[in-house]
Order: sequence, then structure tokens, then C-alpha cells
Amino acid sequence: MTAAVVDSVERPALDRPVRAPLGRLLASELRWVLRRPRTVIAIVLVACVPVLIGVGTRIASNAGVGPGGGGLFASLIGNGFVLPILSLTLLLTMLLPLLGAMAAADALAGESAHGTLRGLLMAPVSRARLLGVKAFGVGATVFIAVVAIAVVGLATGVVLVGTDGLITLSGNTLSFGDALARIGLAVVWVTFQVWAVAAIALAVSAFTEHPLVVMAATLAGALVFGILTVIPQLDWLQPYLLTSTWTTITDVLRDPMPWDGLVNSTLKAACYLVIGLGAAYARLSNKDG
Amino acid sequence: MTSTSLVEPGVGAALAAPTLAARTRGLRKTYGSTVAVDQVDLDVPDGAVLGMLGPNGSGKTTTIRMLLGLVQPTAGEVELLGHPMPGGAQITLPHVGALVEGPGFHPFLSGRENLRRVASAEPLMASSAIASSVAEALERVGLSDAADRRYRGYSLGMKQRLGLASVLLLPRRLVVLDEPTNGLDPAGTREIRRVIAELHATGTTVLVSSHLLAEIEATCTHVAVLHKGSVVAQGELAELLEAGAPALLVSTPDVEASLDALRDNGIAARSTEDGLFVELIGTTAPQVVRVLVEAGAGVHEVRRRRTGLEDLFAQLTEGEAE
Repeated sequence: MTAAVVDSVERPALDRPVRAPLGRLLASELRWVLRRPRTVIAIVLVACVPVLIGVGTRIASNAGVGPGGGGLFASLIGNGFVLPILSLTLLLTMLLPLLGAMAAADALAGESAHGTLRGLLMAPVSRARLLGVKAFGVGATVFIAVVAIAVVGLATGVVLVGTDGLITLSGNTLSFGDALARIGLAVVWVTFQVWAVAAIALAVSAFTEHPLVVMAATLAGALVFGILTVIPQLDWLQPYLLTSTWTTITDVLRDPMPWDGLVNSTLKAACYLVIGLGAAYARLSNKDG
Repeated sequence: MTSTSLVEPGVGAALAAPTLAARTRGLRKTYGSTVAVDQVDLDVPDGAVLGMLGPNGSGKTTTIRMLLGLVQPTAGEVELLGHPMPGGAQITLPHVGALVEGPGFHPFLSGRENLRRVASAEPLMASSAIASSVAEALERVGLSDAADRRYRGYSLGMKQRLGLASVLLLPRRLVVLDEPTNGLDPAGTREIRRVIAELHATGTTVLVSSHLLAEIEATCTHVAVLHKGSVVAQGELAELLEAGAPALLVSTPDVEASLDALRDNGIAARSTEDGLFVELIGTTAPQVVRVLVEAGAGVHEVRRRRTGLEDLFAQLTEGEAE
């Protein structure tokens, strides 16, 4: 057979496993995620929400129809650093989980639908690595969105109110540096909560090749959790629901800051994260390419 | 000479010559109660261009997916480049380029961006060589001009070419092309043939599947015919094509006169339902025709009898069409 070879090309040895550099895979994934128009549009849209809330409350308060009573909205007036926290609180209930689910849907189900997942498996990228790379891409998308919301929220707050008067819900005033640290903490906490949702979505994504199924399942899950949270007879179940502790984020606006709720909800999110990634790996490891 | 020549012939003969790029034994895959592939013993000799020929649904793609470790076989074993699959995937697949079940790319990225993404995942690709390898592969399939357009706007033929380009990013030991000419115009088909010939010339083993005999005849050195999930014939293309003695089928109203004339000239012939069956042993087709014409027999049609492979494949596909 080899006698017929006219112009043999030099080929690398065939004796050991070879892998593409992990950094290159991660960079390629990030590039792919950020070049996807819908990811960019979604991030820009959620980042507009703080502006909407800030300007909206300002106009309302100027017209004298501002929200009466206490709560976050009231403290917004004349308090710039509440805006990013409030924006994250509101977005965490629906839009951020949706964004995480969208990224997770594209990560595995979307690639599967385009026939590109097969290409990665044939390169080959091992299935464990594939999940790692995909989780990284989804995680990065969520993190970028949360940071964008916080930055836009802070900028809007500072423009509308200025940097003085950073008053906590407990009534005392924080320095600008302290306020930034609190916002940073909120960003980390919210990111982690959305990662938990996205990990579950990633598991669904590994089971299907229809991105829509992932979105629908995640939305349905969020709605069911919401319903379960308000049924008093199910109060024994509620500590286990991811969404039941999502209001804990307002703790970062108290002084001194109560850590218990933030730590517990983070541990709970970690459990969801482990379960989600575990299920995704279990499916991916024996999925037909 | 060297120690390798001391291998006992009884043991070494079957293993040493010729080495196989891929090999399956007793391969079986079932989906629920549907048997997709059954008892497939496929040998892909090193350096060959092996055509997998079979009607749609005969198990070509499933066999290929098991070869590449994408699908776990229900039973049987797969060996790719000397390593068992799917366990050896990390060793073997970097040396294998494959286009399976049509090209898969992202519509929102350009052809070039899509290939960069593929190249990034290739273990044997040096990071510094990505840009040049991508440009080279695009050039080779004639997509340079459309490289920076979005994949979304590509024609079917361009999509297929981009898929081929992804296979050509690196020099490979084995290239697997599943129905590569699907959706291509004649010019595109010729280009695929040219690429396959180039790969063959550089010593790359090529496994190409098709449901068209003409396609296989034009490009392959070896052929394996699949039908309903089983290999019904395999071997060198030339051998399979020439299986069965050469013969002519003559359509004539003057059967008796023709038979007499042929026999007088020492040509073996017998009558059939609609004419004559003439064996081409010790004679040639023009000679047969001259004898018939000189004998004054009316000849409607003379045609070569179909060879073994043609006959086999016609039976398989005609049965399918009815």
C-alpha cells in the first residue's frame, strides 16, 4: 500500500493522547459566546433596566407621586448606591435566570441542533472537558451581565444623586469605598445564584437538542418554585427552594451586615450547582454524538 | 535482518499485511427494537480509498459514527488506527478528519470564524498556525472569496465545501466523508473527487460513503456494500467489478440462425427469454457482432452483461425503490 504513496506528508506520532490547550478552548468558547448577537443584545437590555428604574423613580418623585412608605424604592430617592442593588434584586427574580437559561440552552442543546457538538466531540474534546468549557462560557455570560447591571446601576445612581448620602437601610452613612465593596459583594452573590439556575438549565440542555425546551423548563421551574414559596402548608419545603432566599440580597444594605442569610443561600446555591453539573455530566458522558 | 522479520508467518501473515486503518468485528447497534447495524465486519486497508456503498438507511452513517466513537456499539468491537474505540478516542481522533451527517456550523459566524473555532479544538493544531491553516483550507476548497461572509448566507454547496475545509485543516491519517457530494453540482462533485485523489496521493486513508455506484467507481480503490445494516460484499473495487465472466446479451428475432452462426465460429452461446447470452471467452464483442451481421441476423441491441457489483447494487437499490 505504502508503495503507492507519491508525496507522503509528515504526520505526528500516534502513540499518546493529545489535547488542545485548555486556555485556547476557553478563549475560543468566550469568543463564540460574545460574538453571538442574542447574548450581546440580552446583556445590553438587562443593563438598561437600572437606567429605567432610576430615571422612572426620579420622574415620579419630582412629580410628587413617589412611592410612599418604606422599602427599597423609598430609600432610592436621594441614595445613589441603592440603585444597583435594587436593580439586581428585581432582575434576579426573572430576567437573570432567563439569561442564564438562554446561555445554557445555546451551550449544549444549541450546539447539538447545529451539528457542531459532534465536531467538538470528534476533534476530540473529552466530554468532561466539554462540560467544563461550556460551564465556563455560561458562567462568564452571567457574570458579565451582572457586572454590567451593577456598573450601569451605579453610574445612573451617581449621575442622578451624586456620591454623598450613601445611607444604609439601618440609617447610617457609608463611605464611597464601603459602598463599592457592598455592591461588589452583591455582584458575587447574585452571580452565584444565577449560576445555580444555569447549572440546572445546563443539565436540561444536555438532555435535549431543542434550546426551547431548556428555556421552557427553566421558566416553568422558576414559576413552580415561586408558587411553592407562597403556599403556607409547604413551609417545610421552602428552605430547600433556591428562590425562597433571593430577597436576602438586601442584607448588604444593612449595617452591620448580617452574614447568615447570605452564607446559607450561597451554600444552597452550591448544592444546586453541584447537582446541575453532575446531572449534565452524567448525560453528556453517554450521549450519542 | 531486523527482529521484525522473525515474526512467525502463521501468526504474522493475517496481522501484518496489509495493515488496517480501521477494522470492525461483529459490530451491532440497535435502537430499541430497530436493528440499525448487524454483524458488520469491515476492513479499511491503510492507504486505501474505501467506498461504503448502500441505499439510504443501510447503516452507513451508524457504522461511521461507531468507528469514530460517537456512538457506543451494542455489541462487537471497533479498532481505529490500531486502537480500540471509543476508549482510544483521545489518541486516534486527533489524526482523523471527519465530515459526518452534513456540515455543522454556526449561522451567525463567518466561514473563517467557524473554521477558527474548529481549529482551536484540534489537539494537533499549533496555536500559532491556526490563522494560516484556516486560510489554506479555505483556499483549497475555493471558499477564499466568501470566507468572511456569514455562514447563514452560504449555498448548500458552499456549506458542504466549508465542511470539507474543516477536514483539511491538518494532515490526517484517516479522512471520513459521509455522503460528501450531497447537494453539490457537477463541478462541486468533481472537486470532491479531486480532493479525495489528492488525499490518496499523500497516503491518507479515505473512507467515503455514498448511495451512488458511479461516485464510488470514480474515486475508490476498495468498496464495501451495505444493505439493511450488514456488509453484503467487500473487497478491491476492480475485483468486485470484474466478478463473473464477461458476457454479452444480444436481442435478436433470429435466435436459431444466430446460435448456429456463433457455434460455427466456436463461440459459446445459448438462447434466453428475449435473445441470446454470449460468453466472451476467446472472443471479443466486435467479433461476435460481425459474425451475427454476416449471418444476416437482425440485431436490435447488444449490451454488456452487468458485472457482479453492478448487479448486486442494482438488486439492492431497485428493491428499495419499489
